[in-house]
Amino acid sequence: MSIALRLVRSSIRGATLAVGLLLASPIVAPALGAQAPTVSPAQPVRLAIPDAKTRQAVEREIARAVGRGLPPAPLVAKAMEGVTKQAAPDRIRSAVASQAQRLEQARGLLAPTPSEAELVSGAEALAAGIPGAMLKQVRAAWPAQSVVMPLDVLTELVARGVPPKQALERVVTLMRRGATAGQIAGLGAAVQADVAAGLAPDAALEVRARGVMSLLPSPAAAAALAPSGRRP
Amino acid sequence: MTDERDVVIEAVRGTLRASVADEADPRAVARILSAAWAAPAPSRWRRWLDAWHLPVVSRVGAAVVAVIALAAGFVARGVLPNRAVAEPMAVTGEFPVPVVPASDPRSSAVSTQFVFEAPAAQSVALVGDFNAWVPTAAPLVRLPSGVWTVTVPLMPGRHVYAFLVDGARLEADPRASAAADADYGRPSSVVMVPGR
Repeated sequence: MSIALRLVRSSIRGATLAVGLLLASPIVAPALGAQAPTVSPAQPVRLAIPDAKTRQAVEREIARAVGRGLPPAPLVAKAMEGVTKQAAPDRIRSAVASQAQRLEQARGLLAPTPSEAELVSGAEALAAGIPGAMLKQVRAAWPAQSVVMPLDVLTELVARGVPPKQALERVVTLMRRGATAGQIAGLGAAVQADVAAGLAPDAALEVRARGVMSLLPSPAAAAALAPSGRRP
Repeated sequence: MTDERDVVIEAVRGTLRASVADEADPRAVARILSAAWAAPAPSRWRRWLDAWHLPVVSRVGAAVVAVIALAAGFVARGVLPNRAVAEPMAVTGEFPVPVVPASDPRSSAVSTQFVFEAPAAQSVALVGDFNAWVPTAAPLVRLPSGVWTVTVPLMPGRHVYAFLVDGARLEADPRASAAADADYGRPSSVVMVPGR
């Protein structure tokens, strides 16, 4: 009995060693280290905040947010934005904390499973002063599609001076009528250009929304063609 | 060498099967010992392996491990798909920054050109939410006219950006709409990238 046990144990030890050697082999080693290099060109960076205390505080802030299940990339970008804009260290930490708060709020408003891009767009919308209830309405209009573009356009319309209520109504109407994300983006770009050219923001929106609407099928046909797939 | 060890194991196993009814029977013990003694002596190679505690792996096991290793190698070289490589984040010991996924066909990204006039500038960089505001990510090229330009692939949507002049001075794009910056209060611009 003891001989058999010893043989079994020896085989297990040997197999473990064999796997270890193979993992260290030139064939497998590149696979283990492949993920970071193959997604270059950008390399992970350490936050270039000169003050060590502030840097650690910002990194702790990001770590806390990650611990709450938030994506780190938008927070790192917010910190880097502050560094590039040569903001005061305290302001960077405060901006990162605010961004984390907005991301968390957006996660709840865009439930059940918002993508990272949707969270970022939602946080930007909140930062632009769009009420949280409006984000919920956008999600309700497209429960199974990405709402990144509608949120971005809504944010841009409000940033150009369109009243939030009017902007939401137009965007949601287009979404429900079957407009594509590209058509909604076109609306945002056109209104932006019109406002830059001197047109009143609300007038620009009315004109451009009417133009997009004319390209869409009738409400009955739009309901029949309503997207049912999962969002990307 | 494995065959020799297999012979020993089989001999012991056969004898144990025969003696399972009477485990403490001295005759059974003797049969075990004689069977083991009668097995061929291990080779020098086997003894060397034993001394170093090197692995004993069956041919089937070795083949399975080799196939796994080869598959991992192929994945590393992009021959086989690897979902982890397509992740948009490079996570290391430090905090990650967004990168363009290597496997992203960029089918939805739209090439967007930026232009900035600064004849006296030594360098101009494009910084924005699409490159995590990293100054080295998108340097502009100076044309003889003194106009700087760069074209970058951007995902459809709204993007905030600025130009970093001579590595220190941040300027908004005079050709684009201004973006509010409640967090830092610095000049920024906004571009709406249409979808395809």
